[in-house]
Amino acid sequence: MEAAFFELRGISKYFAKVIANKDVSFSIQRGEVLALLGENGAGKSTIMKILYGLYKADEGKLFKDGKEIKINSPKEAMELGISMIQQHFSLVPAHTVTENIILGNVHGIIEQKLLGGEIKRLAELYGFELNPNDYIRDLAVGVQQKVEILKALYQKTNLLIMDEPTAVLTPQEAENLMGFVRDFTAQGNSVIFITHKLKEVMSVADRIIVMRAGKVYGDIKRNETNELELSKLMIGRDLNWITKDDRQESLDQEVRLEIQHVTVQEKNGVPALKDISLTLHKGEILGIAGVSGNGQQELCEIVCGAILPTKGRVLLDGEDITERRIRARIDLGIGYVPADRSSDGMIMDMSIAENMLLKSSYDKKWQKRGFINKKKLNQYALQEIRDYSIKAPSPETIARGLSGGNQQKVVLAREVDNGEKVIIFDQPTRGLDLGAVNHIHQVILKERAKGKSVLLVSTELSEIFALSDRIAILYKGEIQGVFNSSELTTEKIGLLMAGFREGEVSNDAG
Amino acid sequence: MIYLLSITIMMGTPLLFGAIAEVIAERTGMMVTAIEGIFLMGAWAGFVGGYLSGSLTVGFISAMLAGLLVASLYGWICIYLKQHQVVTGVAINLLVVGLCSFLYRVIFGVPITPLTVDPLATIPIPLLSDIPLLGQILFNQTILTYAIYLLAPLSYFILYKTSIGLTIRSAGENPEAVDVAGINVLRVRFLTVLLAGVMGGVAGAFYSIGFLGMFTTNIIGGRGWIAFAICFLGNWNPKGAVIGTLAFGFAEAIAIYMQSTGSSALFPNELFIALPYIMTIVLTVSRKSFSVPAKLGVPYLKEN
Repeated sequence: MEAAFFELRGISKYFAKVIANKDVSFSIQRGEVLALLGENGAGKSTIMKILYGLYKADEGKLFKDGKEIKINSPKEAMELGISMIQQHFSLVPAHTVTENIILGNVHGIIEQKLLGGEIKRLAELYGFELNPNDYIRDLAVGVQQKVEILKALYQKTNLLIMDEPTAVLTPQEAENLMGFVRDFTAQGNSVIFITHKLKEVMSVADRIIVMRAGKVYGDIKRNETNELELSKLMIGRDLNWITKDDRQESLDQEVRLEIQHVTVQEKNGVPALKDISLTLHKGEILGIAGVSGNGQQELCEIVCGAILPTKGRVLLDGEDITERRIRARIDLGIGYVPADRSSDGMIMDMSIAENMLLKSSYDKKWQKRGFINKKKLNQYALQEIRDYSIKAPSPETIARGLSGGNQQKVVLAREVDNGEKVIIFDQPTRGLDLGAVNHIHQVILKERAKGKSVLLVSTELSEIFALSDRIAILYKGEIQGVFNSSELTTEKIGLLMAGFREGEVSNDAG
Repeated sequence: MIYLLSITIMMGTPLLFGAIAEVIAERTGMMVTAIEGIFLMGAWAGFVGGYLSGSLTVGFISAMLAGLLVASLYGWICIYLKQHQVVTGVAINLLVVGLCSFLYRVIFGVPITPLTVDPLATIPIPLLSDIPLLGQILFNQTILTYAIYLLAPLSYFILYKTSIGLTIRSAGENPEAVDVAGINVLRVRFLTVLLAGVMGGVAGAFYSIGFLGMFTTNIIGGRGWIAFAICFLGNWNPKGAVIGTLAFGFAEAIAIYMQSTGSSALFPNELFIALPYIMTIVLTVSRKSFSVPAKLGVPYLKEN
């Protein structure tokens, strides 16, 4: 048998005392699409960063065409024909497409026109529509990804590694990307893509490496496996997935929250939200779908009171709360689980108990002669730790030391209590492992069953579909339409997310 | 008026040296907050080197080395030890003030009359200096001014038209992109800080041996900070730095002019001495848009 294009043998990597990779071995052949499947924190990115020279392996060897190689830097990796597209793109927003592509690849005086033409031709070769003189900051995420791919192609790469490439794309963009992957590998090149989405794996991969807790748990050909087997390998146990049948129909049609013709003007004059009107009933989950950065955060902040609308009104139980600020809205019973818990949701260097107190520190119930009633607070926090099965030794545990999932549960516990009427969940499960995701979904459904109203913002369509009663789609700050979740297909929602209007999306799509 | 403009160019020269040095370094994400200290160390070393050797060339070389030394200390602490740039800069500036006056006394004691050297002479450029008006203003200057005439456009060209410039600018906007491209971010940053040290050293020496011919510990008097501010006002662009420098040079020229003519009847001279500093505040506040390098002041940490 011909030697593998690249091979990893017995690679281990430790961060301080934590094992990131343990004895990882696999190979990739020429012309092959390899999927690296695993949950967050399974060590997928780390092993690829080792192959790309960003990290140094503590143990193990690398081979190319059967010969041992050393890769000490991305530069050496590139010389071997390896390119890697990071999950968070490594582009310079303030520079042009050309400037980004030639960074590190062209030396001496830069001839913009000449290089621009070269890049344009390369882009056309793969059917990418790109203007080399556009600034990255003006490009949509999907286009930025094409720039990253072009950067790799410009370096004449033979092995392209992509870290969660579809996380930021609409379903159609993702389909295009998969098309490119097939074209690219048909020419004898290889692609490794890191993902946790089973569907993608089944549609494009030739072979699948399943990773869990830093180790390889499976090396399987695509046509010899199925999604169920893969998910078991990935998680290591069976999960009770929530399906729509688990929920009772929403009965209450009483309106709780109303957003009426809300517009939010950004400083540069571009509206972040344009004439938004939404209604949220009691005991209802309203899903907000859309590619991130299309006004989701502004929408959440309008409801929680962090920003005030330029135009329009917000009503809670019929009362105009447009002018009420955050604290008043907390008192009214609006909870908010922000998308970025580390910057907006909690203070990492404070304890769990203190984080629980964060949004109601002024409340008399926590006070005793003007001081914080530590005993009462700790009791409360301990109860929450138990209720939400947060893995922490005590209420005094510092938040930073918790895993992402447990940190999120702390925020969740606090906001569920604050939000007696409305709870906003912005990307509640992003970056969490499947166990935590499942737990959080159950919490959301439980609160719905109590009659609370839930605004669920997510870029994960599966999450939106699994939980929502109705779904609204945001695109460039506008509502593309509000649908009962049964009316939508992935195909249709994808088109709406990409900016098509309801009328333009034919009913037989999908 | 010709005299005034000529002084503007002269006094603008060290500011532009400093400002361009600052622009280049800040484009990589490094605020050289030690610039005041670099100026002062340059002024001191320039004087000591020049006085002891009797050669201004030796003086300027000493100044470059001294600037390099201060910059390498600053760069090492901020880039490799990842410490806070403002805090480190302030500490180094204070250190340099003490060090300069201490070393000055160690070498020269406490002289009754200040020690002096003959400052840099102006070199009229043949033909060009005979052009009416402009000749006197632009082409009857010291060699440093002529050097900056070359350096300013050169720095612009390098920053915007070469791969080195692209790397420098990228390092300040998104160092990960530079790292992933296989270029050592820390080295890029360190080298530009060293360059800033050399240029800042020359700028500092201008005040001691290029203009006054003597050294005092308050000789720089915040002009390093003005170069720092010019970089901000000039929008991190050598072109903008030139414009900003002319404004500050002019303010300083007025102060010098008023001082020399003694016409302080209408306005107190102190007002004009304070003018550059007032301008710094006014211009900083009144500027509307900044194109700050996105990662300015942020150390580059790589997990591994």
